[in-house]
Formats: sequence, structure tokens, C-alpha cells
Amino acid sequence: MSDTEAAEEKFAVEVRAMSKWYGDFRVLHDINLTVKDGERIVICGPSGSGKSTLIRCLNHLETFQQGYVSVNGHELNEGMKNVEAVRRDVGMVFQSFNLFPNLTVLDNCVLAQRKALKRSKLEAREIAMNYLERVKIPEQSDKYPTQLSGGQQQRVAIARALCMEPKIMLFDEPTSALDPEMVNEVLDTMIGLADTGMTMLCVTHEMGFAREVADRVIFMDGGVIVEENKPDEFFDNPQHNRTKTFLGQIL
Amino acid sequence: MTEILQWLFGEFYGNMLSVLLNATQWTIYLSLTAFIGGGLIGLLFTVLKIVPVRWVQWTATTYIWLFQSIPLLMLLFLIGLGIPAFFKVDIPPWFAAGVSLTLFTSAYMSEVWRGALQSVPQGQWEGGKALGLTFMQILTSIIAPQALRVAIPPTVGFMVQVIKGTSMAYIIDYNDLMRWGKKIANSQIDGAEPFIVYPIMAVIYFSLCFPLSRWSKAMEKRLANS
Amino acid sequence: MFEFRFYEIWRSPEYVDAILNGCLTSFTLTLIGGITGFIMGLTLAIIQLPQNPAIIRLASVSYVEFIRNTPFIVQLFFVAFGLPLLLDYQWSFTTSALLAMTLNFSAYFAEVIRAGMNGVKTGQYEAAASLSLTRWQSLQYVILPQALANVLPSISSQFIFLFLTTGLISEIGVEELTWSGRFVADRTFRDFEVFIVLTVLYMLMVYIYLGGFQLIKRWAFPWWSDRR
Repeated sequence: MSDTEAAEEKFAVEVRAMSKWYGDFRVLHDINLTVKDGERIVICGPSGSGKSTLIRCLNHLETFQQGYVSVNGHELNEGMKNVEAVRRDVGMVFQSFNLFPNLTVLDNCVLAQRKALKRSKLEAREIAMNYLERVKIPEQSDKYPTQLSGGQQQRVAIARALCMEPKIMLFDEPTSALDPEMVNEVLDTMIGLADTGMTMLCVTHEMGFAREVADRVIFMDGGVIVEENKPDEFFDNPQHNRTKTFLGQIL
Repeated sequence: MTEILQWLFGEFYGNMLSVLLNATQWTIYLSLTAFIGGGLIGLLFTVLKIVPVRWVQWTATTYIWLFQSIPLLMLLFLIGLGIPAFFKVDIPPWFAAGVSLTLFTSAYMSEVWRGALQSVPQGQWEGGKALGLTFMQILTSIIAPQALRVAIPPTVGFMVQVIKGTSMAYIIDYNDLMRWGKKIANSQIDGAEPFIVYPIMAVIYFSLCFPLSRWSKAMEKRLANS
Repeated sequence: MFEFRFYEIWRSPEYVDAILNGCLTSFTLTLIGGITGFIMGLTLAIIQLPQNPAIIRLASVSYVEFIRNTPFIVQLFFVAFGLPLLLDYQWSFTTSALLAMTLNFSAYFAEVIRAGMNGVKTGQYEAAASLSLTRWQSLQYVILPQALANVLPSISSQFIFLFLTTGLISEIGVEELTWSGRFVADRTFRDFEVFIVLTVLYMLMVYIYLGGFQLIKRWAFPWWSDRR
């Protein structure tokens, strides 16, 4: 690919020389990352490496102090207005699900469609049921989140994000709060989603998942992107010692 | 003190303030009485509530429930007017007020302190038992010191309720800030209208209560952060 | 010797009437004051949210602190005797009582509700934001319902505590339960019996309110399970 082609190409996510500080502590250090439409990225690294912070910057849940970030054509910066427009294009799934306990499963999926996208009640419900079927829990739609298992809750959370029909999906350690027997049902849902061509950035330590669906695996440590490669290369032939150590601990 | 107040606020308001501040000391005495008396009785019932004897616990529970349920105003009437009328005895207002507020305070303090004791993990009791300590030894040397940290902020916070509660004692003719303020406000004197006197009284009560509120909140925050 | 003579209260329909009417008045006035106080308290708490301008937040905090650190009776007398003189407009004592109760209750409720909103997990704010809900939408549909469910027990005990002080409105001539009690006591000289009866009636009303709060919990927060 030539330089001119790269410059003209539309990126789903474009991060250039981005840095973030908490007070004096630099959590993200000169991050460069581009993600093409439909690309699936897995980000891994030890805790405190800044991987969650990085993806939380992409929907402006966190702000950064230096560099350039653009998401689906919207440039992000500190104190920006109209954050909602960016977030409409970006769905997020959290480690602790964060379903709204005061709403039924269906209403969890309907609320933002109605309020942020101004969809009609009928349309919103139809779309919600459609995605609940996709994550295979339409029969739970009238229950409250606390009545569901962790795996079911996380699948609802994925459906809830998908209802907004985002261009990009962010996953922040979606399986690390789950009991082991529930991890697979969530991973299967994510694999199904990957098959639809969704642009995905997943912070996860599920290396089987990374091998199966990722186009690229990114390894972060100490706020820096240490290594970035295709999954096969990344796992079979890691370049850096820190990556090797990390993989040695996790596999 | 009157002279200083007169110099600061003029003769009229200086005198008024002097009367009100003088009366405030009775508010303070009543608060202290209630707080010390209520604290001691409250402590007793806190211990009774956790003594591992069924009927003792039941007695304490009933006591705490009863004096939390009786409105303070009713306590004042019962002790200040009811008992004298019934038993044909004379009870001076300060005594009736002191007893009523003490009972009121003790019930709420027991509740607060029991909560603090419960916040100490059960394992601490078991640890003490394993060391062969007696109930009182465990309570005083292991549990109470840990519970104290939790108990202090709400205890100080409740002092505010006690001070505000004393303002009801004027109803049985206890001569405190409230009663004197009400007298002045009713005096029909120009410059001593209710819309002047009550705000002044409010400010005096506020300056007694607010520092305690603040202190309590600050300690609570420190506790939450530790 | 000393004997209880409750029948001196029962035997006169006038006294029984006065006491029952007093009950009804106490109960309804507190209920109305509780509702208006809750609405005002909710407003005060929302005003204190960090996204609002510092000046109105300060105003709300100052109001809440001032009310919470001064006795109800002083507030009541100011509203009943001071304000009408100041504004040169005389309203009824019932109005004074309701106004004072609203002003007083609102400060306590505001404090409780504010704490409840702080207690909602940040994940909930983040999830709402990530779904591109605005702050007000998140507040309305996600944060407030959870905050109110969290603090319903505190609101209920605070309300009961305040209810037990409402006897003071008899002092401005509102004919509620304490007023009726004094009316009967002054005529029968059976103060002790009368105030025992009153105490029992106040307690009964407390249990009616507590029942009401149970209903509110079931009706408004059906999703709220007792296990946390």
C-alpha cells in the first residue's frame, strides 16, 4: 500500500501521538493506532498498562491531553461539545455489564433508542427484540437484570449497545467478571458479531478469541504500545521480551 | 459582655442579644445534661442489647423502641405535665426537660452505638473467644475500640438533634433561648418584631449546631477514606 | 390511690371528636408537607449536582445546612408570625404550618437524596453516557430511579422522625392531635392519660406511614430486590 493510498483511506479509528496524564502520572504515552473499517483488534497487556484507558478515550469517557484522535470522522478533544454524536457511532461493553437495574432487559435496550435516536416505541422494541434474539435471550426480555446470570447480563449489554447500530464496538474486558462457565457464551456472541463485519476493539485476555477473530493483536505495557502483529505472528513469534513474559504468564 | 454587645450593635439590640445569649447558656446546659445523661444510659442499653441473655436483650430492645417511638413533645408533656397531674407531685421544668431529653437521647444513642458494634466483624468476637477472654473483656478491649471510630461521627451528629430538641422544652416553661426569644418576639416593641427576633435566634442555634455538623461530616469523610 | 381514668376522655363525645379530628389533621398535614417537601428536596438535590453553576449550588447547600442546623419551632414561628408581618399579608395558620413543614422537610430530604445520587455506581453514569444519553436523560431515567430506591429507607425514617416533631404546629393554633390533647387535658385535668393516648395514636400513625412506604417500595421500585 502506497503512502497516498493510506492518506486517503478512511479510518474508523485514528490515534496519533496521543498522551494522557493523571496528574503527574503519564498513563498513555505517545499512542499511535489506526483501525480500518471492519477491522478487529484485540488489545492485551498486564493490569495498569493503560489498555482500558485507551479504549475509554475513544468514546470520550476519558479525556486525553496531547495528540490527535478521530473516531468515525469525528475529531475528539478535551471539553468538546456534542459528545453524544460521537457516542452514537460507538458502542461499549463493560467489564461489570452496567445494565440499568431499574429497567427490564427490553427497556435497557429501548431507552437510548427512544431518547437519543428518537425512534418510535414500536420500532425501538422491534429492533431490541431483534438483537436480543441475536444474543439468544429474547425470552428474558421482561425480566430485570438482577434476575439474570452474569453471562446473560453481558449478552444483554452487548445487545443494548448493538441496538444503537454503532459503527464501532468497544469491549472493555467483557469476560473478566464472569464465572468461568459463562465465558464461552459471551465469547460466542462476540465471534458472531465479528462475523457480521463489525469494527471491534476488544480489551481481553482471551487468547483463543484473539487467535480466532482478531486481525491484529496489540500488546500494551506501561502506557505504551509495545508490540502489534497478526495473531499467528504475535503468539508464535513474539518480538519483545515483555511480550514473551506476558504470554508466558497468561498461556 | 452586655457593654460589648451594646457597643457593637447599639443599646437596643445589644440588650436584646445579651438577654438571648444569657438564655442560650440554659440551652447549652440542657443539651449537655441530655447528652451526658443520655450517653451514659444509652451506653448501658447498648451493652444490654448485646449481652447474650435473651430477656436482657429483649428489655433493651423494648426500651430503645419505646423511647424512639414516643415523640419528644409527648415525653415533655408526660413528664412535665402528666406525671405531676397524676401523682400530685411538683416537677420543676428543668428536671422534666432534662429527664425527657435524656431518655430521648439515650434511645437514639443506643441505636447508633449498637450499629457501630455490629460493624465490627463477627470474627473479632470469635478471635477473642478463642483466646479465652470473657464477654466483657472482648467487648472492652477488642470490639469497643474498633467500634469507637465508626461511632464518633454519628454521635457528634446526633448532638445537633439534641440541641435542636431542647428548643421544645419551652413548652413546659423551661427558660432557654427559645422561651426568651419567644417572649421578646411577642413583646410588641418596635425593632423586636418576630421577623427580626426569630432569625437572630436561628443564627444563634445555627452557630451552636453547624460546627458540630461540620465536624461530624469531616470525621465521617476521614473514616470513609481510611 | 392513683388510678388511671381514661374513661374521662371517652365519656365525652366532644373530646373523642377532638382527638379523632386531631389525628386526621396531623396525618394529612404531615402527608401533604411530606409530599411538597419531597418535591422541593428533590429539586434542591438536583440543583446541587456538579454540572450546575457554582452559585446556585452554593445557594442550595447553604439553604439545606441552615435549615438542618436550626430548630423547626424557630422556622415555624418565623413563617407564622414573622413572614406575614414582613410581607404585610396574613395567611392561615394551616398555610403557615404547611409552608414551614415543606421548608423544613425539603432540607432533610435533599440531603438524603443527594447522598443517594452519590451512591449510584459510576458504571451506571458511564453506561448511560456510552449509549449517548445526555446528562439530564441519564439522571431522569437511570440515576434518579436508582438513587431514590437506595434512599427510600432513609427517607422513610427521616420522614417519621420529622412527623414526631409536627406536634409543634399546635403552638401556632393548628388544631391537630397535640392541640386536641392539650384541649382535652385542660378540661379533664387527666394530662397523663391524655398524653398516653396521644402517644399511642402517634405510634399508630407511624405504622400506617411505614405501611405506606412499603407500598411505595413495591409500586415504584418493583425491580428492587432486597439482596444487594
